[in-house]
Amino acid sequence: MSNKELSKDESLALITDMISQAKRNVAKGGSFYFLLWGWVVMFANLGHYLIAKFDWLDYPYIVWTLTIPAVIASIVYGAKKSKEKVKSHLDRLYSQIWLAVFIGVIIILFFMGNVNYNVNAIILTFAGIGTFISGRALRFQPLVAGGIALWISSIVAFNLHPIDQYLVGAVGILAGYLIPGYLLRKAEK
Amino acid sequence: MSFAQLDPLLHSQLRLAVMSLLIGVDSAEFVFIKEKTGATAGNLSVQLDKLSNAGYISVTKSFKGKKPLTTCSITKVGIKAFEDYVNNLKQYIE
Repeated sequence: MSNKELSKDESLALITDMISQAKRNVAKGGSFYFLLWGWVVMFANLGHYLIAKFDWLDYPYIVWTLTIPAVIASIVYGAKKSKEKVKSHLDRLYSQIWLAVFIGVIIILFFMGNVNYNVNAIILTFAGIGTFISGRALRFQPLVAGGIALWISSIVAFNLHPIDQYLVGAVGILAGYLIPGYLLRKAEK
Repeated sequence: MSFAQLDPLLHSQLRLAVMSLLIGVDSAEFVFIKEKTGATAGNLSVQLDKLSNAGYISVTKSFKGKKPLTTCSITKVGIKAFEDYVNNLKQYIE
């Protein structure tokens, strides 16, 4: 490409071509995160529910230590992705949405005693917000439906004993993260 | 109506290509722009400087490991200039 002046048609053709070039290089939406967190959170929810329900251990919340390697995996994956040569607006929006959800969840966990340990229902509401907005931003309907599924499970959870909320949480995550996550991965290929 | 109305800074093949690439993304690295435009590194640097001096793009220089890394993104002034350019262009087409 040189510095030559363009005719009006050449100008238009060039603009269109370059915009579509940039579009094709847009990094793909994060099915990785939905699958990673889907499996980890579903497994931890189920584990917590079973341990607490059948009194297997004194500290059922020990299963949530599983989220520590998941946080590390997310950071490593995120760092790798940020090395890509081009960053789309969507990439940035996406990471900011989930950073906001993550901060919200941490705040809730910190004050879980203040809300009578009803954290699961609240976290499901937050996860629903992140999933719904991600779905809208990516124009990917299964994620939008996943967000709604998480909100429904949050409504159900609010009406249950904190221990039973973990079971609802596992189902909500299956419907809200894992199923749309696999559909998203398929769509990314 | 004449072509003189079109922003001369944008009415050049490589600079217009750069702006068209950057309008669609949050930021892009020098190598990405070079690859997509097929320009030589030297020429691209000169044109990026021109766009940067006009305030159309912002250029950030950093390091990726030991390699220097140049990242470009379009500014608000640049977006306005690009929109005006496209709108002016439309007048000729209509």
